[in-house]
Amino acid sequence: MADREPVIVTQGLSRSFGHLQAVKDVSLTIYRGEIFGVLGPNGAGKSTTIRMLCGILDPTGGSGRVVGYDVATEAERIKTRIGYMTQRFSLYEDLTVQENLRFYAGLYGVPRGGRRARVEQAINRAGLGDRRDQLAGTLSGGWKQRVAIASATLHEPPLLFLDEPTAGVDPVSRREFWDLIHRLADEGTTILVTTHYMDEAERCHRLAFIFGGTLMDVGTPAEIVARRRLRVVELEPDRRADAEEALRADPRVEEIAHYGAVLRVTVHADADPGAVVREVCGGRGVVPANLRESRVSVEDAFVAMVRQDERRAQAARAAGAHP
Amino acid sequence: MSGRALVIAWKELIQLRRDRLTLAMVAALPVMQLLLFGYAINTDVRHIPMVVYDQDASAESRDLARSLEATGFYDIVGNVQSYTEIERVVRAGRARTAIVIPTRYASDLRLGRPTKVQLIVDGSDPQTVASATDAASGLVAARASELALVRFHAQGPATGSNLLSLEPETWYNPELRTAVFVVPGLIGVILTMTMIMMTAMAIARERERGTLEQLVVSPIGRVELMLGKILPYVGIGYLQMTLVLLIGSFVFRTPLAGSPLLLYVLALLFIAANLALGLVFSTLAKTQQQAMQMSFFFLLPNILLSGFMFPFDAMPRFAQILAQGLPLTHFLRIVRGIALRGAGFSDLGNELVWLAGILIALVAIAAVRFQKKVA
Repeated sequence: MADREPVIVTQGLSRSFGHLQAVKDVSLTIYRGEIFGVLGPNGAGKSTTIRMLCGILDPTGGSGRVVGYDVATEAERIKTRIGYMTQRFSLYEDLTVQENLRFYAGLYGVPRGGRRARVEQAINRAGLGDRRDQLAGTLSGGWKQRVAIASATLHEPPLLFLDEPTAGVDPVSRREFWDLIHRLADEGTTILVTTHYMDEAERCHRLAFIFGGTLMDVGTPAEIVARRRLRVVELEPDRRADAEEALRADPRVEEIAHYGAVLRVTVHADADPGAVVREVCGGRGVVPANLRESRVSVEDAFVAMVRQDERRAQAARAAGAHP
Repeated sequence: MSGRALVIAWKELIQLRRDRLTLAMVAALPVMQLLLFGYAINTDVRHIPMVVYDQDASAESRDLARSLEATGFYDIVGNVQSYTEIERVVRAGRARTAIVIPTRYASDLRLGRPTKVQLIVDGSDPQTVASATDAASGLVAARASELALVRFHAQGPATGSNLLSLEPETWYNPELRTAVFVVPGLIGVILTMTMIMMTAMAIARERERGTLEQLVVSPIGRVELMLGKILPYVGIGYLQMTLVLLIGSFVFRTPLAGSPLLLYVLALLFIAANLALGLVFSTLAKTQQQAMQMSFFFLLPNILLSGFMFPFDAMPRFAQILAQGLPLTHFLRIVRGIALRGAGFSDLGNELVWLAGILIALVAIAAVRFQKKVA
C-alpha cells in the first residue's frame, strides 16, 4: 500500500430488500495493494456489500466507485477488472480442472492465442499438473480452492473479491492460500476478503467489522484491538467450574473462553485483569494457578464487540417491551 | 463479441456429453413418443374379433369373409348360425363385430341385383365402432365397384381397363393415415418439450450450483450469455427432428412430400421461439425442479390446443384464439403442410408471420427479464 491509490471508494452505500435493510450507510476507502478483511457474523451484510461492489447488485442508496467506475452505472466495466471467488468456489463440477480454467480464460477474454499458455502457467503455478484432467467435482476442498483462485486470477485482475475463500479447507491449504494472497498483494493486487477465521483476520492489512449491515469499525488489526480497550489474562484454576461461575458474575469481566485446562478472561482495560481475577477467585477460595497476562487478539476484540452489540439489542428490546 | 458466446456453448456441449441422463432423454424421447403415438393408436383398432353368420355359404360369401380378415382389422373367431348366437358371443365379449351375409348373396351379385351385407358392431367402445365400420364399408365399397367394373367390362366397350386403376386403395389403410398425420406433428411436440425444458433447466442448474453468480460477475454480455446457452440446443433440436423424420420414414413410411430444406429452415424459427421461452422460464425458476414443472405445465395446453390431438376447426372460438399464441399451432401447420401436402414457401406465409411474431415477442420478454444481476 505504498502509493495510497484508492481502488474502492464508497459513500453511504446501502441496500434494502423490502423492509429488511441488509447494508446501511457503508462508507469505505480501500487502497491499491491492500489486503482488506471484512468480518461480521453470518447475515451481517458482507456478501451483499461485495455483490454491490462487483456490480451484480444495485445499491438502493449511496454510491460507490470501484477501480474508477461507478457501481450503479458502469457495472460492466468493473466486471472486466475484477476477480471474484465465493466459498462455493463456483467451479463446474462436471468439467475437468483444465476445462474449468480454459472456460474462465475465455469468459474473461484472455486472447485466444495466449489462452493455452496462460492456462498452462496457472496450472503450473498452482501445482495442478497431476490433476489437470480430473473432474473438479471429485477434488477435495483444498484442491478445489486452488483451482478456484487460479480461475479467478487468470486474467490478472487488479482487484480480487474473496467471499469466505477458505471455508472448509484444511489448515495447511489455508496457510498456502494466504501466502499466495500476500504474494498477489505485493505485486499490487488489491484484495477484499471476508472470513470467519480470526487467525486470517490478523493477516489482513486492514479490517472492517460489520454487524447488522452497519460498519462498526475500520482499521489495522492493532488499531481495532486497541480501540476495544481490553486486557486479557489466562489462568489454570484448580476448580474451574467454580472459578468460571464467579468470574461470569463479575461485571468487570467481558468474556470467558476455554482452551483446554486454561481459562481466558477478557476484562475492560480500565481494570487490572490480574487483580480482578485474584480478587474474584480469592472470594471463592479458588487458586488462580499460572495466572499471566496475554496479548489481546482480534478474536477477543471481535467477540467483545458482538457481545456489546447483543447487549445493546437486548436493552433496546427491553426498553421497547416496557416503555 | 460472439467469442464469449462460443466459450459458453463449448462448455455446455462438454457438460451435455458427460450428462448421460440428459443425453439419453434427447434420443429416447423422440423414439418413445413415436412408438407410443405411432403404434398405440394403430394396434388399438386392428384385430377386432369377428364372427361370421354366412347364410349363403357360397364361394363368393366365403371370399368376402376372407377379404375382411385380410385387411388385418378383423380376426374371424368363428362361424355362427343365428342372430341369437351372435348376441351370445358378443355379450360374452368373444367377438366385437359380426358380419351377416344374406342368402342369395352370390346369385344377386351375379345377376347385378342390389344386395346388403350387414355389419353388427359392439357399440360399447365408440373408438372401435368407427374403425370397424370404416374398414368394412371401405372393403365393401371397393368390392362393389370392382364388381361393377367387372360387369361393365364384360358387357361394354374397353374403357374399363384404365378405370381399373380407380381401385380404391386409400380406403384400405386408414392405419397409415393416422401415423402419417401423427408423426410430423410429433416433431413439434417433442421440440416444444425438450427445447423449453433443456434451456430452462440449463440456467436453473447454474443458479442452483452457484455458478450463475460467477457468470453474472464476469464481463460476458447479456446477449452473449443467452446465445451461448441456447446455441447447442439448436443443434439438439435439429438432431431430434432428423431422428423423428428418419424413424417416421422407415417405420411408419411417413412421406416428406415437400422440400426438406424448407422444413429445416422454417423449423429454426420454431426452435428459437421455444428456446426463448425456455429462457423466460429460467428467469422465473429458482431450481431445476421448478423449471421442469413449468415446462410440463406449458406442454399440456400445447398438446390439447395446437391441433396435435384435436382438430383445430372443431375447437371453440375461445380455444382457437388461445391456440394462435402457441408456436406449436403454427409449426404443426407448417410441418404437416410440407410433409403431407408438399406445401411450398408461398403456401406457408401466414404461419410464418405468426411464428416470427411470436418469436420476436418471446425474445423481447427474455431480453428484458434476463438481467446480469442477482436478486
